[in-house]
Amino acid sequence: MNTITKYDRLLTAVGTLLLFLIHGVSFAQLERKLATEDRKTDLVFHAPRHINLLTVEALDKSTLHFAIMHTFGPVNGGFRNLYGLDNGANIQFSFEYALKDKFSLGVSRSGRDKFYNLYGRYHLLEQTESETMPFSLSLMAAAGVNTSDYAYLQENAPDFAQRSSFAAQVMLARKITKKLSFQLSPLLAYFNSPLPAYSIEGDQQLYLALGFSGNYKVTAMSSLTLQWIPNLNNGLRNNVGVGIDVEAGGHVFQMYFVTSPALNEQYLLAGGNGVPGEEFRLGFNVNRIFATGGN
Amino acid sequence: MSWKRLWLLPVVYLLLVEEALAQEYKTETGEVVFLSSASLNEFTGESGKLNGLLDLASKTFDFYIDLNTLETGIGLRDRHMRENYLETNKYPFAEFSGKLEKSGPLKLNQAVMVKAVGTFKIHGQEKDRIISGKLTKISASEVLLEADFQVKLGDFDIAIPQLMFYELSEIQQVTIKAALKNE
Repeated sequence: MNTITKYDRLLTAVGTLLLFLIHGVSFAQLERKLATEDRKTDLVFHAPRHINLLTVEALDKSTLHFAIMHTFGPVNGGFRNLYGLDNGANIQFSFEYALKDKFSLGVSRSGRDKFYNLYGRYHLLEQTESETMPFSLSLMAAAGVNTSDYAYLQENAPDFAQRSSFAAQVMLARKITKKLSFQLSPLLAYFNSPLPAYSIEGDQQLYLALGFSGNYKVTAMSSLTLQWIPNLNNGLRNNVGVGIDVEAGGHVFQMYFVTSPALNEQYLLAGGNGVPGEEFRLGFNVNRIFATGGN
Repeated sequence: MSWKRLWLLPVVYLLLVEEALAQEYKTETGEVVFLSSASLNEFTGESGKLNGLLDLASKTFDFYIDLNTLETGIGLRDRHMRENYLETNKYPFAEFSGKLEKSGPLKLNQAVMVKAVGTFKIHGQEKDRIISGKLTKISASEVLLEADFQVKLGDFDIAIPQLMFYELSEIQQVTIKAALKNE
């Protein structure tokens, strides 16, 4: 009996087809998996500074951040004073070095009152792409000294303690969309002796304020920037700044209009501000990060 | 052969397939290095997370890498690379899969030339590529794949601005080295 039934043929055909379906089209293929699901969010801000305030942007271990910041005279002096550029600038240099990925120490020197500031930043939380951490949180503390010459005050000249002032801030930031980042910075400044001879407008010791920083990316390399620092416990005018950040040739350039010539936290809070719009000053920061390769 | 024994055909096929499965070589730790040599700046980036599958029976392959794992030694440069150029949030992988042609049988410690014909994908763009490499059987269950090729960033819509953060070359020289294991 060598005949084959229809049934036999059908069985063979179906069986072969099934196997081809299962194995026949098995083109080598791997499942795509991310190496790290919980990656940190990149570049919440362009640089560790944003107009005048520090940001949550951390430095990698053993890298050095150098910033040179300027604010000029009020632009309402008009063309005659080249919109404030003739008035000379308040200039601050700062060097900040990362001892660890999360901790850096910095020193800055501002021209106004020949002020030296020592500061540290610690990055407690960092926003992640997977939203397991929805925001970044950093802390900053500073101690500074005014080294201006007050010999003309004779026996009333302030001593070191009287020249000292302190600042602290919490930086809470979130990259809301690919283009929009926002930072909220509760700030505190304390002057041991807020003498009238200092280049500040306030006469109290303790200053509290709330900083708002906004960044809107226009292109991959440039952003519109905003800063608003309302005072919480005094009648001084609030600080307002608007500007642009541009990354080019290894630097982050920050150009802005701001109401205060102050460049460090203590003077930003106690220094007083011009009327926004009328007494804007031109400001200009250059940020550069150097990798020292000491990993 | 009796027609009745036709049912044996699928069984034979199944055995062949099983044999074929035994020809699959895999890795998750292949090395990738890219070299960017621009006139003013030369740097390399590396990752040890190349995932690969090589099927010597069906002569097919599939490789991919999570681009977030590339490191150039400068954290800020890596962040700019991910954020502004490779856009890894949108396009996390570089992929290459297709057919493999071997110039001869594999013998222990003797390299044979291989030609990979397939689709290379990065930054959401696909391009057909032929990449030559070297395949060496390094143990009973391991083969070593080595290849060099170039990736032209413009082909994949990866923009290079005139004023770059770190001077970047239009042509990236890529080297891969992966030991794939048969399990």
